Amino acid sequence: MRRPVAPTVRRLIGSSARRLIGPSASRPVGGSAAWTAPAALFLFAAFVVPGAALLRAASRGSARGLLAELVLVWTRPHTLRAFANGVGLSAAVSVAAMILCLAPARLLAARRFRGRGTARLLLSLPLAFSGVIVGFLAIVMLGRVGFVPAVSRALFGRAFGAGLAYALPGLFLAYLFFEIPRAVLALEAAFAGMDPELDAAARSLGARRFERFRRITLPELRPALAGTFATTFAVSLGSYGAALILSRRFSVLPVEIYQEFTAFGNDAGACAMAIWLAGVSALVSGLAAREAARA
Amino acid sequence: MKRTALALALTLAAAGFAPASAQEKLVVQYDCIPNYANWGGVTALYKQKTGVTVPPDPKGSSVALAAIEKEKDNPVADTAYYSGAIGFVAAQKGLHQPYKPKGWEKIPADLKDPAGLWWTVHTGTIAFVVNTSALGGAPVPRSWADLLKPEYRGKVAYDDPTWGGTSFTLVYGVNALFGGDEKNFRPGLDYFRKLDANVLSYPRESVYNSVLRGEVPIWINADGNGYKMKYADGGPIEIVLPSEGTFSMPLVMGMVRGAPHPEETRRYLDWLLTPEAQAEFSKGFFRPIVEGTMPADVAAKFLGPGEYRRSRNLDLAKMAAASEALKRAWLDEIRRAR
Repeated sequence: MRRPVAPTVRRLIGSSARRLIGPSASRPVGGSAAWTAPAALFLFAAFVVPGAALLRAASRGSARGLLAELVLVWTRPHTLRAFANGVGLSAAVSVAAMILCLAPARLLAARRFRGRGTARLLLSLPLAFSGVIVGFLAIVMLGRVGFVPAVSRALFGRAFGAGLAYALPGLFLAYLFFEIPRAVLALEAAFAGMDPELDAAARSLGARRFERFRRITLPELRPALAGTFATTFAVSLGSYGAALILSRRFSVLPVEIYQEFTAFGNDAGACAMAIWLAGVSALVSGLAAREAARA
Repeated sequence: MKRTALALALTLAAAGFAPASAQEKLVVQYDCIPNYANWGGVTALYKQKTGVTVPPDPKGSSVALAAIEKEKDNPVADTAYYSGAIGFVAAQKGLHQPYKPKGWEKIPADLKDPAGLWWTVHTGTIAFVVNTSALGGAPVPRSWADLLKPEYRGKVAYDDPTWGGTSFTLVYGVNALFGGDEKNFRPGLDYFRKLDANVLSYPRESVYNSVLRGEVPIWINADGNGYKMKYADGGPIEIVLPSEGTFSMPLVMGMVRGAPHPEETRRYLDWLLTPEAQAEFSKGFFRPIVEGTMPADVAAKFLGPGEYRRSRNLDLAKMAAASEALKRAWLDEIRRAR
């Protein structure tokens, strides 16, 4: 009974994917070229100019200097460790955020229920907080005298979670706090764009719930998942406020950059690290874009 | 073409090319933390008297120094406030211009640069600022040795010395106290390594309010910040000068070379040495450098002179020479230790 589901659905998915990223995207809009000028100017001012300044500061004036400084970054064990820490933490947070946000994203996309607007508003709120504020929030909730330990002491007589904010779990939760909303809002759009008939067709062919999720929902969401992962990963990798406030010892690359820059005035070293950070973020985004296009 | 021009115009307008309110008078001071040495009260009083704004600035001394060095060719700051050694480094690096504010002669000779590149505005002393209600039954620590006891696990904090000058003074001072010097950091680093087991965090921002809330039970910082918590904010705070000895810390200022508002800055720096401003600093429980300006009721709140006899002065020139190496060594052995 289950066998025939796969080919049918695959065919259906093929057509729906074509519908999703069909020719409509390239339809010309009159006069839009002129209106890209503000964005282009902004991009120039906010990306190209500082990017060039970054390269110049790291190079101290020569291409060989740049190369030397870029290599030098990886000769410091603590930099390597901070980089590995950041990649590991960001990947873990991104995966966790995507798993946790599937159900709420689907709910928001599929149902019209009371409080839906409020729920979306509350969800988008953490996006407005800077990392530093999220760090303070973590201390207020999970510090030595935080809210969670206080409540747990009142209920169970033990201050569960006291001081957790300063340890790795606290940092993980702080990152999750600002990545979940990003993931929910990104995937909500993908769920909304899904063809409900696919699911209905599969159901009428007898596919169970988990099988429909695995064979229809997941493949169809794959581009969106890849894109969401790239965004949350890049944002986490580049975030420094929460780590700056919370971590006693666990360091990430942006904190190292901040430290070299502010405490020692080592522009070249800080800029070289920033170039690597930007490079890795771009690489992950590029891979995700390829993954999205292939699906 | 017209459309492009319109879009461009909109962009420029959005980018905020509105003229700044031209008449507001400004003096930019790096390291102007409202909760430190009552800078909030001092700058508010100055604004009220003269209409000149001195905006708050959250940089610690080390960060202020790095910023001024970076902006050397195009200075933003007019003046800066530092822990002594860091101000000394800034002067040494040629980041200051000479100025001897009015009242110069009232500053003791060893607490100012003969050329006017830096001078002391008040002094503090390194102390344990203890929130007695947050100790969880443990006694108030009395000595550097006490702090290492397991009952203080997760209860001690001191600022990252690469961020703040107060903590740099602390790290340098403890090293000197235990037999180290400007070349040999071993004794100090060994102590801080042991202390690390009890450390809750190495803050890179002011934790003044966290101490008051009890989030940080023991903060090693300047005595004045503790007195302010106790007397101005009514917190359950006790100030302890450790029994083995502690260090006094001159807090200095200098005029930045190429300061954008030179006239206003000189007037401001003059005013900071007047009895009025000096008394206002003392409301933050930092000791005025100008003798006889501390109100009697403030003076009465300090621990007795017998306690302060244990405080020693540190050699600023030697501290300055050690600053980068000691900060790096602390990072490698304490913050980055595995």
